Amino acid sequence: MASAANANLNAVRETMDVLLEISRLLNTGLDMESLSICVRLCEQGINPEALSAVIKELRKASESLKASENSTN
Amino acid sequence: MATLDQKSPNVLLQSLCCRITGKSEAEVAHQFQYAVRVIGSNYAPTIERDEFLVSEKIKKECKWHLDRSCSTMRTHSYCKILSQQSVLKHRWSVLYLLLSLSEDPRKPSSRVGNYGALFAQALPRDAHSTPFFCTRPQSLALSYGERTAGLSASIGTSGISSMGVYTLNGPTPTPQSLLAGQPPQSAAGAGQSLGSRLAWTLPVSASPSALGPPATRPLLGPPAPSSRLVRPRRDGDAAGDVSETALVRDILYVFQGIDGKFIKMSTQDNCYKIDNKIVVCKSLRDTSSRLAELGWLHNKVRKYTDARSLDRAFGLVGQSFCASLHQELKEYYRLLSVLHSQLQVEDDQGVNMCTENSLTLRRLLVWMYDPKVRLKTLAALVDFCQGRKGGELASAVHAYGKTGDPQMRALVQHILCLVSHPILNFLYRWIYDGELEDTYHEFFVASDPNVKTDRLWHDKYSLRKSMIPSFITMDQARKVLLIGKSINFLHQVCHDRTPPSKITPASKSADTPKDAAELLSDLEGAFQEKIDAAYFDTSKYLLDVLNHNYLLLDHLQAMRRYLLLGQGDFIRHLMDLLKPELARPATTLYQHNLTGILETAVRATNAQFDNAEILKRLDVRLLEVSPGDTGWDVFSLDYHVDGPIATVFTRECMGHYLRVFNFLWRAKRMEYTLTDIWKGQMCNAKLLKTMPELSGVLHQCHILASEMVHFIHQMQYYITFEVLECSWDELWNKVQQAQDLDHIIAAHEVFLDTIISRCLLDNNSRSLLNQLRAIFDQIIEFQNAQDSLYRSALEELSLRLLYEEKKQQREDEGQWGVTAEQEAEEKKRIQEFQDSIPKMRSQLRILTHFYQSIVQQFLVLLMTSSDESLRFLSFRLDFNEHYRAREPRLRASLGATRGRRLSNI
Repeated sequence: MASAANANLNAVRETMDVLLEISRLLNTGLDMESLSICVRLCEQGINPEALSAVIKELRKASESLKASENSTN
Repeated sequence: MATLDQKSPNVLLQSLCCRITGKSEAEVAHQFQYAVRVIGSNYAPTIERDEFLVSEKIKKECKWHLDRSCSTMRTHSYCKILSQQSVLKHRWSVLYLLLSLSEDPRKPSSRVGNYGALFAQALPRDAHSTPFFCTRPQSLALSYGERTAGLSASIGTSGISSMGVYTLNGPTPTPQSLLAGQPPQSAAGAGQSLGSRLAWTLPVSASPSALGPPATRPLLGPPAPSSRLVRPRRDGDAAGDVSETALVRDILYVFQGIDGKFIKMSTQDNCYKIDNKIVVCKSLRDTSSRLAELGWLHNKVRKYTDARSLDRAFGLVGQSFCASLHQELKEYYRLLSVLHSQLQVEDDQGVNMCTENSLTLRRLLVWMYDPKVRLKTLAALVDFCQGRKGGELASAVHAYGKTGDPQMRALVQHILCLVSHPILNFLYRWIYDGELEDTYHEFFVASDPNVKTDRLWHDKYSLRKSMIPSFITMDQARKVLLIGKSINFLHQVCHDRTPPSKITPASKSADTPKDAAELLSDLEGAFQEKIDAAYFDTSKYLLDVLNHNYLLLDHLQAMRRYLLLGQGDFIRHLMDLLKPELARPATTLYQHNLTGILETAVRATNAQFDNAEILKRLDVRLLEVSPGDTGWDVFSLDYHVDGPIATVFTRECMGHYLRVFNFLWRAKRMEYTLTDIWKGQMCNAKLLKTMPELSGVLHQCHILASEMVHFIHQMQYYITFEVLECSWDELWNKVQQAQDLDHIIAAHEVFLDTIISRCLLDNNSRSLLNQLRAIFDQIIEFQNAQDSLYRSALEELSLRLLYEEKKQQREDEGQWGVTAEQEAEEKKRIQEFQDSIPKMRSQLRILTHFYQSIVQQFLVLLMTSSDESLRFLSFRLDFNEHYRAREPRLRASLGATRGRRLSNI
């Protein structure tokens, strides 16, 4: 049982590594943590199209937020 | 699932929000709300859940992102590894997420990139939209839609449409290359929002002009106000007085054949060029003159279509050629309108323009490269097709399709498709309905309206050699001609009203000329098959009709039986009956008497069992009478032909038949005469035994008669077996195997020709025929001589018998049998008779001599004849070398083998 779980863990880790690498190649700008969150969301059947839209929107929002902060500063 | 624990999506989303914005949970509440709304709302999956497709796209994306080729390999292997893992259930969605998040370093940032991509994608499609792909409803509006979709891909809302653009552009490699050719723009973030907004507004501003029909010339409107034109755009522009932008604007007009402000048509050089007075730097001048060639080419094509499209006499093929040229021009205008709208946008945004984004001459040079090649081909085509029409035109276009350049081939193929459409239309009408609606004489089948129906098959329809398109072989053309001819023949001559669809069951429904394009591309296969099928069915039907309804084969046999004396008993009986009539002078003959005799002969012999249809046509004909002719010379059998069978038995054919009949009739008469001679000899031989003084003469007669019998027998053998039967057998075989009426006609003609030449009736063997006639004459003369001999001999015999009888009677009465006076009288008469015998002998001798010399001459001619069967005949006639011994010339010409063999003996 323990070894099976171990193997599973390895597999998961490997998968995550591969995904991270692809993400890096594709220049998505996701770090490990956000990626893992995204993967979890996807695994729960969230529409990736929507998710990507959300992420982009979030980034834009944070960017504008920063910009406004900068200008106020 | 140790690490991927089942947290609720909301928790995950919240942590994601924090992560990305870098704020605490409280601060991101607003964003979180938004995210939940988006995710939970109507975002139905719009894409196909195909992992493979997504991974392929990732690979492609990577290739663009990184110029290191190994990266592609790496992604490839990653995707592979991933696909082997079973940890993720929704691999494709993860991959898809990554893909849609992927940030193209060039695309998103600046407006230039957008436009570059926009035009790079739009251009090649416009340039290549010769409607091989044009079957899709490619209105401009749609393509704009696609383009915007392509743009939005970088913004990231709908990946599907970007995919659509790529696949649509698939066949043309240009977009990628153009993209690659563009210098990667480092992100100029400030312009982004503006750029993307512009990108959205572009289609709206561009569509009104783009949607207008391209044929309306002043599509781009009159030249814009010049103040705008010459407005100095860039301070650093090295172009001197005229800015490049102005030149670009000018060039766009020149592309349509309208003189620009600076670039004008120069009549002396016959090309567009920049006015010499205007100061422009050399590179710009060169580039613009290179571009301006397009205008010249455009004008050329335009002029041709304008001149021709109104010319009615140019015909349907020409019209469709013009239409196809128009279509090409339309595509060209479409491209120009795209360019122009680009220019418009640049103008509107004028102030903010950065140098690299705008339309430049150089960029135009690249983009216009393909259209230029196309226009060049069109112009060359126009030149080549000058003065041609119909099938000739199609041939010309087809000749241009034989190029190694696949794009040009596609272009020419497309034009050829349109051009040959009317021809195929003609063709189908012709082979399926037999109708020829060729007002402008474009089709390769010509019809002569002056020809009457009796010569329909032979003369009415012909091939116009020059109009046969080069993609149709001569053989196919001939078959096509034959198919339509057969249908017309059935309709007009045979009065057969069977609908064509019944004749060719495979036709019509499937084969409307709509599939012209496929046909052309597959001319060898389907087209040939179709023609073959139609040919086969139609011909077969025609032959069936001729054989069953019009008894063609029966008539053919009747010809042989009656005109070629094949029905022996009938001919013999006819001759028996006719003999007394025909012995009289020709002028005293009456056709109705002879017709009666003919009927009697028919009724008395096996001919009566023949078809009434055939017997009805049998008739007597008297040839033209020249003085001194007997009935034998002018009598002839005749056979009436009319209707469809007259197509096979034409007037010339019947003339030939008559000649052959006369010859055969004459030869038959000789046989008949000799039979009579022989009969006389046999009957009289016993009677005349009592007159020993006659035996010498009679012997001479017998010898000559048997010589003649031998000759005539051999002649008859030759005529019957070597000429008639052999040729007939050949004809019959051919007729049985014939596939169409032409085959039968040809075989029949060959048959007649063979018979004519073998019967020595053609011009080459005139001398032979003359000899033969002379021989025949000698036989007749001999018959007369022998007749008179027998007459006088029999008269003498009867007188002698009478004398003896009287003597006996007197003696019975007890008187003196004869008085001295009577006896002297009797002796004197006998003496006279005996004196006449040498005269007869000499007459016979002369006859024999003459006859033999003619035969020898005949043999000499036979020996030298080129026909093998005639040489065999000569051998047969002189089988015991009887004549050879007398005629030195025969010896010389008999050939070395026989001579050598003789000398050996």
